[in-house]
Amino acid sequence: MNIIIKTKSLTKQYGHILAVDHIDLEVFEGEIFGLLGPNGAGKTTTIRMLTGQIKPTFGEAWIAGYDIIHESIKAKESIGVVPEVSNVYDEMSAWENLIFAAELYDVPRSERSKRAIELLKFFGLYERKEDKVANFSKGMKRRLTIATALIHKPKVIFLDEPTTGLDVQSSRMIRILLKQLNKTGVTIFLTTHYIEEADQLCHRIAIINKGKIIALGSPEELKTKAEEEHIIEISFSISKDVEEYEDIENQLKNLNYVNSISRIGDKFRLYVENTSEAIPIIIDFCRKNNLKIISINTLKPSLEDAFVKITGLSPEIMKIEKETKKRVSLG
Amino acid sequence: MAKTWIKSLIKAFYIAKKDAKVYYFKAPNFTYGLLMPFALFIAFSLSGQINPLLIIPGLISLVILFGTTSIEAVAVVLEKQTGTIERLLIAPISFFTIVLGKALAGLFFGLILSIIILIPSAIISGISIANPLLVLIAIIISSLTFSTLGVLVSAYAKWVPEAQMLSNFLRFPMAFICGVFLPIENMPIQLVIIARFLPLTYSVEALRISVGNSISIFTYLIDIVALILFSFIFLIIGSKILQKRLE
Ligand SMILES: Nc1ncnc2c1ncn2[C@@H]1O[C@H](COP(=O)(O)OP(=O)(O)O)[C@@H](O)[C@H]1O
Ligand SMILES: [Mg+2]
Repeated sequence: MNIIIKTKSLTKQYGHILAVDHIDLEVFEGEIFGLLGPNGAGKTTTIRMLTGQIKPTFGEAWIAGYDIIHESIKAKESIGVVPEVSNVYDEMSAWENLIFAAELYDVPRSERSKRAIELLKFFGLYERKEDKVANFSKGMKRRLTIATALIHKPKVIFLDEPTTGLDVQSSRMIRILLKQLNKTGVTIFLTTHYIEEADQLCHRIAIINKGKIIALGSPEELKTKAEEEHIIEISFSISKDVEEYEDIENQLKNLNYVNSISRIGDKFRLYVENTSEAIPIIIDFCRKNNLKIISINTLKPSLEDAFVKITGLSPEIMKIEKETKKRVSLG
Repeated sequence: MAKTWIKSLIKAFYIAKKDAKVYYFKAPNFTYGLLMPFALFIAFSLSGQINPLLIIPGLISLVILFGTTSIEAVAVVLEKQTGTIERLLIAPISFFTIVLGKALAGLFFGLILSIIILIPSAIISGISIANPLLVLIAIIISSLTFSTLGVLVSAYAKWVPEAQMLSNFLRFPMAFICGVFLPIENMPIQLVIIARFLPLTYSVEALRISVGNSISIFTYLIDIVALILFSFIFLIIGSKILQKRLE
């Protein structure tokens, strides 16, 4: 397979912060590659370096064979970029936005209209082509931003958190469109902090945390890694009292063979080394504390479990950060 | 090489066209660019004798200066603030092309503004313009120079009012020492030296020569060359500042 994106010790330092810390990546032509990590992990910084918006402090990278620093114009001609926040011009129509993109990317004059029509149809915006973008919903703006990034038929498209901030339906639509786009041969490099999204969409995933790549592989490979650990899911007949839950959670965590614990609704998930040793201990604990078990299951690890095991981060942390971020942008 | 230059000039024109669509019609600064020089002028001309051949070129230079720097404050700062500048950064174009595009939109704005002022004021005062072609060239080059100055200042500023304030630090002193109201020959030598480092001096001089057919064509040529040099320097510094501010 051809390598279309390659980085060598790519690094970005902001003052004391190593936003991106010596990362080495290889992305193959035709794949959907995901950079998965919590907020502040260095995803955006990585994309901004690869797309020539900021200069790396150290290291190198190539896109379609072009050095991103010394041949940045050539590299830029081969890529499309969709930033975290849709950046189409509100004051112009969808059509004008596409034509302006075509002008900047040297699309021959005779092909501009044809491409714009194709893309508007593909992204379901054709009926609204003369409308000012200011009247578009968030999902429509995101689709138009992706369309403008494709006007010059780039080999690679970069998307920074393509579904963040969108409603469920718009997000689903974008994921479907990205898959269709990939089938036409476009390499997709995206970032996300949604584990499920990475799982559904990506052929390969790199997990990034604190600027470092800490795991790399297909979703299946990552799940297999997590399989060395087992999961027991258990629920009890107890009141909905928060303190009681926390109390039980703390006690369960301290049991032998239990590595870590998370809570999903009224269920506890115990990550254990050895199921057959752990289950009797858990049952014993319940009996001693008069806890009535409603259900107990052993689970096949999901990508989320793999993520927890590999990063040591709770998946809840990603969700909490996402919420606060949303609030900030609203306020 | 030449092909690359033509390509980036064409793209600068596309950026200029886009700027005109997006920013130029929603600017309250439109009026700011016209009102301020008028106010200055009326205040000044009330106190002295009025020779239209001296006054009109000065007025046009001032209108170009205030108009283009005001519109660039909007076009450059809003592009940064709304984040649409990213669209230009990811495109296969250089920072120089971006600032040149911004300045070209300003150039057309300055040109239209000065024609709006020049024709009625020439008719009202009854002067006949000595050399219309040279006037047109002087107007175009002045518009370019002051637009690039506006881009430079606005590349640094974070907010539109900040860009306006920074521009005022340059616009008002220039308005008083660059020969708009008083010919610089009548000023103390220290001020004359300073005036020779400021672009407005050359703009006023070139317009006076071409409107009134007064001094030599040679001086006019020097003025035009000086203005072009200023433009280049402002464009280069402006593109560096923009790059630094976006890191
Ligand atoms: N322009 C900047 N100046 C200083 N620090 C920055 C800048 N951009 C990003 N950072 C820091 O770099 C780290 C990575 O940020 P970012 O790449 O935006 O993360 P992500 O996109 O994964 O949420 C964070 O700690 C962030 O605060
Ligand atoms: Mg980010």
